[in-house]
Amino acid sequence: MDVMSFFTWLEGSMLGHIAKSYGGVYAAAQTVHLASMALLGGTVLVTDLRLLNVALRDVPSNVVADGAHKWFKVALAIILLSGIFMVAGVAMKAYYNDFYWAKMAALATGILFVFAVKRPLLKKDHSRIPGWLLKLVAIASITVWFTVAACGRWIGFS
Amino acid sequence: MLNELLLTFAQWLGAQQWSVGLHESFYMYNWIETTHVLTLTVFLGMLFVIDLRMLGLAFTNVPASKIAERLDLPMMIGFAVMIVTGLLLFYAIPVRTTQSVWFRLKVILLVAAGINAWIFRNRMKKAKPTWDLDAVPPKNVRVGAGLSLSLWIVIIFAGRAIAYDWFDCGQDQSAFINWAAGCVAGASE
Repeated sequence: MDVMSFFTWLEGSMLGHIAKSYGGVYAAAQTVHLASMALLGGTVLVTDLRLLNVALRDVPSNVVADGAHKWFKVALAIILLSGIFMVAGVAMKAYYNDFYWAKMAALATGILFVFAVKRPLLKKDHSRIPGWLLKLVAIASITVWFTVAACGRWIGFS
Repeated sequence: MLNELLLTFAQWLGAQQWSVGLHESFYMYNWIETTHVLTLTVFLGMLFVIDLRMLGLAFTNVPASKIAERLDLPMMIGFAVMIVTGLLLFYAIPVRTTQSVWFRLKVILLVAAGINAWIFRNRMKKAKPTWDLDAVPPKNVRVGAGLSLSLWIVIIFAGRAIAYDWFDCGQDQSAFINWAAGCVAGASE
């Protein structure tokens, strides 16, 4: 099954039918998506602002990173689930939307970055990691997640 | 009477050159809306982290007051950006927004969330020496945090629903909806 066939199938599926037919349910899914985006953004920012020495400076950065990552995973799972429901209702529109694909590329980069780079690094004792590297990771993290959210918003405008 | 006044004000606002310009500017309007939505991550992101700590669900190894106090500044910066961008969004489309039942609900809920935050903050200050280090704060604090989370999720829903035309004035709908939306007879857009 190629990508286009998958999107055609998704729009015609039960999920696509519910998302298309019930505006209230769709708006509720958007709300869940936005609320979990806020939570994901909050956990990312709390960690990154700590790594940049901007916020929570009197709390060890290891403690902040560990505490935030638990809720980052919860937020990400809810975002993915609500996102699948949302795209099911507008699958063909999304397929032909450049911002949708930009968002998916940024999201894949973000997930890869968190689980392959950021988390493995931040699991270590931060006092043994050079300060510039922690700051670089924080800036990269803010940039990638900002790109995901901004591209997501622009799907609706294009 | 009040609805007529609000509508007259909205019509006056909507006739301003800058309001029309903002509404018709593709990039300006959309970037203001994008900023409004993305700032959710700063304002509500910080608030959710604070609320989760107050519920005893996150950062339980950090004193509750430390989380609340240290994240207060970024949260308030986010709130200020949301208010400014929110006012600009209203300024761009004042007539329809004034007569939106969802916008009205959002304003009421914002006031309720503000009152809850004020009560919550005072309660936290008074009780700080007794439970600050507890992993799970007392019940009244958890209730306040739960209420805060719930109110903000409904506020997001109301904000999102403004974009839908479900209860726009001029439609064949119940008198109650027309009253709640503040529809003025013969003046719907």
